[in-house]
Amino acid sequence: MATISRQLSNNFYRLSNGPGAIWQSFRVDTPLVFFLFCLASFGLMVLFSASGENISDVRSQAAAIVVAFVVMLVVAQLDVHFFRRGAPLMFAGGCGLMIVVLFFGAETNGAKAWLDLPGLPRFQPAEIEKFLVPMLLAWYLSTRSLPPRFKDLLICGVIIALPVGLILMQNDTGTALMVMMSGVFVILLAGISWRIVIAGVAALAMASPAWWIFVAQPHQKNRILTFFDPYRDPTGAGYNIIQSQIAIGSGGVQGKGWLNGAQSQLDFIPESNTDFILAVLAEEFGLLGVLFLIALYVAVIGRGFFIALTAQDTFSRLLAGSIVLTFFFYAFVNMAMVSGLMPVVGLPLPLVSKGGTSIVTLMLGFGILMSIQTHKRVLPR
Amino acid sequence: MAEKFKLNAHETETLIFSRRMIVAGVFIFALLSILIAWMVYLQIFRYDYFAARSDGNRLHSQYVSPNRGLIYDRNGELMADNRPIFNLTVVRETAADLNASLEMLRSVINLSDDDIEQYRTRQSRRAVPHTSVPVRYQLTEEEIASIAVNQHLLPGFAVEAQLVRHYPYREIAAHALGYVSEINKEELVEMSEEQASNYRGTNQIGKTGIEKTYEDLLHGRVGYETVEKNNRGQVMRVLDRTDPVPGRDIVLHMDSYLQAVAESALGEHRGAVVAIDPATGGVLAMVSKPGYDPNLFVTGISRAQLSELNKTGHTPLFNRAIASRVPGSTIKPFIGLGGLYHGVITPETVIIDPGYYRLPGRSRPYYDWTWWVDKSGHGAIDLRRAIYQSCNTYFYGLAVEMGIDRIHDYLLTFGFGANDAIDIPEASAGIVPSTAWKQENRGEVWYAGETPYEGIGNGIFQATTLQMAAAAAAIANHGVLKQPRMLRGTIGNDGEITDVIFEDTAASKQLLPSPEQVELVRNAMVEVINKPYDPEHRRHEGSAYPTLRDSGRPLEYPMAGKSGTAQVVQFQVDSAGNRDESEVPEEFRTHAMFIAFDASAQSRIAVAVFVENGGGGGSVAFPVARAVLDAYLLPRTETFDEVSALGSNAQ
Repeated sequence: MATISRQLSNNFYRLSNGPGAIWQSFRVDTPLVFFLFCLASFGLMVLFSASGENISDVRSQAAAIVVAFVVMLVVAQLDVHFFRRGAPLMFAGGCGLMIVVLFFGAETNGAKAWLDLPGLPRFQPAEIEKFLVPMLLAWYLSTRSLPPRFKDLLICGVIIALPVGLILMQNDTGTALMVMMSGVFVILLAGISWRIVIAGVAALAMASPAWWIFVAQPHQKNRILTFFDPYRDPTGAGYNIIQSQIAIGSGGVQGKGWLNGAQSQLDFIPESNTDFILAVLAEEFGLLGVLFLIALYVAVIGRGFFIALTAQDTFSRLLAGSIVLTFFFYAFVNMAMVSGLMPVVGLPLPLVSKGGTSIVTLMLGFGILMSIQTHKRVLPR
Repeated sequence: MAEKFKLNAHETETLIFSRRMIVAGVFIFALLSILIAWMVYLQIFRYDYFAARSDGNRLHSQYVSPNRGLIYDRNGELMADNRPIFNLTVVRETAADLNASLEMLRSVINLSDDDIEQYRTRQSRRAVPHTSVPVRYQLTEEEIASIAVNQHLLPGFAVEAQLVRHYPYREIAAHALGYVSEINKEELVEMSEEQASNYRGTNQIGKTGIEKTYEDLLHGRVGYETVEKNNRGQVMRVLDRTDPVPGRDIVLHMDSYLQAVAESALGEHRGAVVAIDPATGGVLAMVSKPGYDPNLFVTGISRAQLSELNKTGHTPLFNRAIASRVPGSTIKPFIGLGGLYHGVITPETVIIDPGYYRLPGRSRPYYDWTWWVDKSGHGAIDLRRAIYQSCNTYFYGLAVEMGIDRIHDYLLTFGFGANDAIDIPEASAGIVPSTAWKQENRGEVWYAGETPYEGIGNGIFQATTLQMAAAAAAIANHGVLKQPRMLRGTIGNDGEITDVIFEDTAASKQLLPSPEQVELVRNAMVEVINKPYDPEHRRHEGSAYPTLRDSGRPLEYPMAGKSGTAQVVQFQVDSAGNRDESEVPEEFRTHAMFIAFDASAQSRIAVAVFVENGGGGGSVAFPVARAVLDAYLLPRTETFDEVSALGSNAQ
């Protein structure tokens, strides 16, 4: 299998230090860039409608996309081994930043998670933990033999728990969950025994009543109750999901047409340009639009799978796999929550929802993915 | 497997990873399949449901209130029109936290506890959900601006323009026109389903007077429209509309100039004036004083304003023109006509008046007014002189000879004892006593001793000022009674007036003596005012003549009339409880009455005046009646504004 994949990816081999034109030394994965470009463009179009044809919203989002693409291409030029060597240091730096945030962070929506540095746009250090955690885990596991032993798993657990704990202290449950998942994906891909996975899932299932009784906060319980019956409070907690489902359902197969969504244009969908933007898309472009979006996501994820599978070393593989799965997780959770398949979690729809930070972070991840793809070496057989 | 192929560590790890990626791929495939299946379910299988929900979200049917018909007087003067005002309204379902918003509004605009209480009442009777309810009427420019600034804090609230009733003449004709005010639950309950649906878009309904009587004509038909609203309830566009049918504009017989003259002529007295066109029965003026500004009621009167209105204790809201009173001597011409009709007397019948009357076989005297002057009477006196001298003795005897039941039957034919007015349903019927009436209402037999008082209008008999005016108009019209009416016609879309023809049944009931005898009574009433002192004979002048002579202005047209004076004390005894007791100790002055009419062959106006605690009918009420006739029959020298300014100064 490894042989086959190596042959398939032969075309993309480059000699890192080989001679050639500048263009040849510019490392870029064309299919990935193409799919991401399609996604971002489609996203802008939906955003234009979702923000009530607000040009300035679209303009700032477009600017964020340009910045994000530049970030991605710059990161792609870095050798993947730079990430491997730098992983512990970057991880330590990331944790340090989050400690700084705990003391000097700015607060938004109840989460004290942002850093306002002069001369820089406001950003959330926890966001990059989604890459730093898998990087360190991949670095650690790549020096061990797979599947990981129990002792390795404990260490991995500590590596995940440290930043997650810090993020929870910032009161940002959504990001904490995502960072944890990005780490869990690495462990799963590293070949952790299914028995442990099943035992873990069972333990979680058994612990959930305790969580419900002792830990869960009222707003979290409320979200879950609302998920099971949105009509228990149709004008309050259930309003978002009810209106969002009305928008999606009334879109039908073909949709009501761009800029013609009654639910969207008459402001019945709250957060219509951020977390709930899928409702606008589904109303205006219908089932076909939803399928088109899913197809674009599948293309990106498929390309990511390909990169992960053809990566040359354990570090690259684990890191690439984690990035792709995290991306899928993001997209799926958002789509499932907006359509009422899951309780509401505050997550944007990747590359479509309004929000510069989210896009730049995502593209940073794709930059790493592209670096993995474009820094392969011909291995001695 | 480790035994068969000894894979190196690198290949083992690749294999583990690849397998795990495949598992992940399967998971992704499964999850996306579920998601797509769910989307297909929502967007295809439940499309109809959600499409309907979406329409229900944004499409709202709302009612469009019709513009209320305007009210004009006979000269085309606008007496009631519609004026735009701006109201603060709220849609309950859209307001996030209503109580907090109301509390906040207190600091933004002038919003009293009273306003909030009134709003809650309105909210509680709103029939259609998702429609706006007024919170406060008549916002000022500043308030509109303050609300606009704070709009983002007030979800569900909006400033809406509305046309509301406006009475440009304010106090003038307030009682006759009545007013519109907010519809209440009782009124809605009384309506049929269809009627109630016609008020879905309206807050106001006629409460009294013309506004109430002609509510059906003035209101119009409600319209409907389907609108698209956003989540804040703002109308984005109108998709479908059935226009409302505006109410009909109507024309009254009323003459607003005459109305203003009558109001100012009453001066500061309390009382009533009704003027009628004898040929048509049309009410030319209907005054009740003290008055009030009907504009106060249109958007809901506050408690403070209401108590301010009532603080004098003179019940300004009460329409004195259609309240029944003891008429005093103004009844005498009708008793006289009754005597002639029944043949109890002839014009030549002469009695000897010693200054008092005694029932046959009884010793108790019924005094004439002359007795109180000089302990004497009129001597030999016939009907004609008995009318212009207002001789009590003559009418005591006449009443007794007619008998109470014949008096009762006869007075009914002149519109007394029933509300004969075509379109003034609020008017009192008055009281025309009979033996049966007394048995039924007081549970007593009729005593012979009561009958003489009925002859001079100081007994049980009561009539409204409106009835007196109508009866006077009948004599003016040579005996033919027309039922009083307010409405003259309606105005069509082309601006043409279509006269309203009412079925008039009053004249057919009438019991009239010969035309010559009717003219005798009519002429006697001319002499009430015009017959000068006769140096040869004592007490041969008209009872109102001294007042005419003292005024220094001779009449420029033939005028007839009859004065009356009702004793307050007797009034109090006869109808105890009918009256505010607190008013009695104020003064025991008598109520002054006067009926009058234009005595030309084609009489153009008849009037009845009632002055509460005014004193003598001849001296106080006669000048008021004359002022009204002057204003109607002579060229008008003052403008309406001058006359009405007088009226409001007197207030």
